[in-house]
Amino acid sequence: MTAVDRSSLEPVVVTGIGAVSPLGSSFDEIADNLLGGRTGVRAIDPGRFAREHVQFAAPVSGIPAPSETICGLSSEAFGRLGRLERLCLSPLAAALDDAGLATDRSPRIGLVLGMGAEHLKDWELDFLDGGSEVFGDRRDRTLVHRLAGRVGIKGPAVTVAAACASSGYAMAMGRTWIDSGWVDACVVGGCDILSPVAIAAFYNLRALSRRADDPAKASRPFDGDRDGFVMGEGGAFFVLERQRDARARGRRIRGELAGVGMSSDGGHMVIPSSDPVQSSRAITAAITNAGVRPDEIDYINAHAAGTPVGDVAEAGAIRTALGDATDAIPVSSTKSMSGHLISGAAAFEALACLAAIDRQAVPPTINLDRPDPQCRLDHVPHEFRPRRIRVAASNSFGFGGSNLCLVLKAA
Amino acid sequence: MKPSPDHPGVVPAGCAILAHAGVAVSFTEIAALRDAPVPEGAPALPARFLRHCDEHTVVAMRAVLDAIASIEVPLSLERCGVVAAPCQAGRIATARSLAQLPVGGAVTVSPHIVPQCSLHSVAGAVSVALGMHGPHIGVGGGPDALAEGLFAAMTLFQCGAASGCDSAWVIATSWDEEPTLAADGTPEGNPVCRAVAMLATATEMAPHARLTLALHMTGEAGGAEAMPTPLASFARALEMCGHGMALAGWSVACPWGAEIRLAVRPADDRQQGLDRMASLSLRRREAA
Repeated sequence: MTAVDRSSLEPVVVTGIGAVSPLGSSFDEIADNLLGGRTGVRAIDPGRFAREHVQFAAPVSGIPAPSETICGLSSEAFGRLGRLERLCLSPLAAALDDAGLATDRSPRIGLVLGMGAEHLKDWELDFLDGGSEVFGDRRDRTLVHRLAGRVGIKGPAVTVAAACASSGYAMAMGRTWIDSGWVDACVVGGCDILSPVAIAAFYNLRALSRRADDPAKASRPFDGDRDGFVMGEGGAFFVLERQRDARARGRRIRGELAGVGMSSDGGHMVIPSSDPVQSSRAITAAITNAGVRPDEIDYINAHAAGTPVGDVAEAGAIRTALGDATDAIPVSSTKSMSGHLISGAAAFEALACLAAIDRQAVPPTINLDRPDPQCRLDHVPHEFRPRRIRVAASNSFGFGGSNLCLVLKAA
Repeated sequence: MKPSPDHPGVVPAGCAILAHAGVAVSFTEIAALRDAPVPEGAPALPARFLRHCDEHTVVAMRAVLDAIASIEVPLSLERCGVVAAPCQAGRIATARSLAQLPVGGAVTVSPHIVPQCSLHSVAGAVSVALGMHGPHIGVGGGPDALAEGLFAAMTLFQCGAASGCDSAWVIATSWDEEPTLAADGTPEGNPVCRAVAMLATATEMAPHARLTLALHMTGEAGGAEAMPTPLASFARALEMCGHGMALAGWSVACPWGAEIRLAVRPADDRQQGLDRMASLSLRRREAA
């Protein structure tokens, strides 16, 4: 086993983007909404298993049907697929189309799907629909293989899960496949779906905000009055490839996936460690891997979901990793607008970093009326901040003490 | 995919197995294992750590602890990662929760469902129980979990310093036969849950290791029709190789045109590797 030495490698860049989210389903629409400080959080009808009289979340309101030429499905046939599969297939196909690979299968293409609880969602939604799959002895192939088959991907296809960091790990894994020469291009990302049992489970865990009187104000990362996160659904997919291949194909380069860093707290199955050492190690590893100094980071998209413990822990991790440079780096949490997309969060927030690079502006943390003094950072409350952004970092932390940091650079 | 062994630019991947263990436990025996999971010679776990864990996690933890107990020289696991590939883990707890839902409503949904029954849960529990700080990831989740897990482990080892680990537990779990569940979520019959745990590290870091795994890109995609390798078969092959029996060409096929070959290192190769390591170490000391 010989680890790949990145310093001698061709940069791995993003040439395709697809998304389905509470803030829209195209890069420009999402970027507009992020910089406009608009929220996707609203009251929802969770059906007969509501945990409260007023339930709120950040749902996806429409899933665009992909072109029939990409996945061989008419819009009617697409509409008959399960919602989770539609939530994944639509942005995956859009990313391939954006990269100019909708029908071109000459490169060896892989697929890494970040998804934390595919079976839980499948079993639950089938049960609520009157089915009994969870009680049976079937072992069907997982969604990643069905998705690969639908879009004609014949390279490696793997599902990876690291709780709320799942789709970020998918991005890290896809880049390594390219670095190792196992594929020429890789579709990476992840999505998640709202479901009554998932909402109830997080509610019963006391992880969700209970601000039912004003859902739009409920997601308030780093604010002194935060009381938990707001669940959302959707996510994003990217096509990654070597920079020279992208240039040879004449494709627009949207950014470079320049660095990844990983670690685990090794402390608790649910609660993030208050000791910032391990989470800061992931940030340090990512910026080292990207070959940048802390003072070269222009923006940090924080994981900050709005939980009392997690936001403080992350602020400590950022400061531990970046030291004195911290005070000059604007930090925001786009979960204040999108809600927490769980498995899809890391990929969606990587998209937010690419939007910040594209628009040369830092998206705000909305609802940040009274910053928690324990989260001492250069916050960007309420409105976007114009700024020259060449390098952006995105943190993702998950249950089980999973830590991941991605560094994205301008092309 | 192009045949990769001859493809320029393809980095070979593999690892050495420092320790391994396999466990197969029937459903009725899992309760006892949940209460007392630690074999002699293995580190203690936090009190009642497995109380809310899924059956796959309980059995995986025992396999990891058995592997640790088999290691003669104590080693630090602090910078160890975990790649765990369960097949349909969490089904019994989910079925129980869903069975209660129409009667008791959302208030009856267990808060442990997400942290303990998701794809990452086996890896997370092993990482937390042993206080390890390398990354931990769940992989697969379905019938191809073993192939996906081994491939993901190869990927992690390719990441170098970004992975933050110098070794990793590679774990696979599965019911030998996926059980049918009664209306309350209880399995019918007495199904057997199986786990294999391997402590793996860089091939060059462990020239003394008897077993290796190596990735070969074959270029022959089997597609959806390719039959996944049963975990029980892999466990048997690992056990036989562990006893020094070389199994010619034994491998786990990946449906996308790759295979991961399990091999026993010849004694001469191991000795040469150790000699190289000693020589390198001596040169470093002299240089210092």
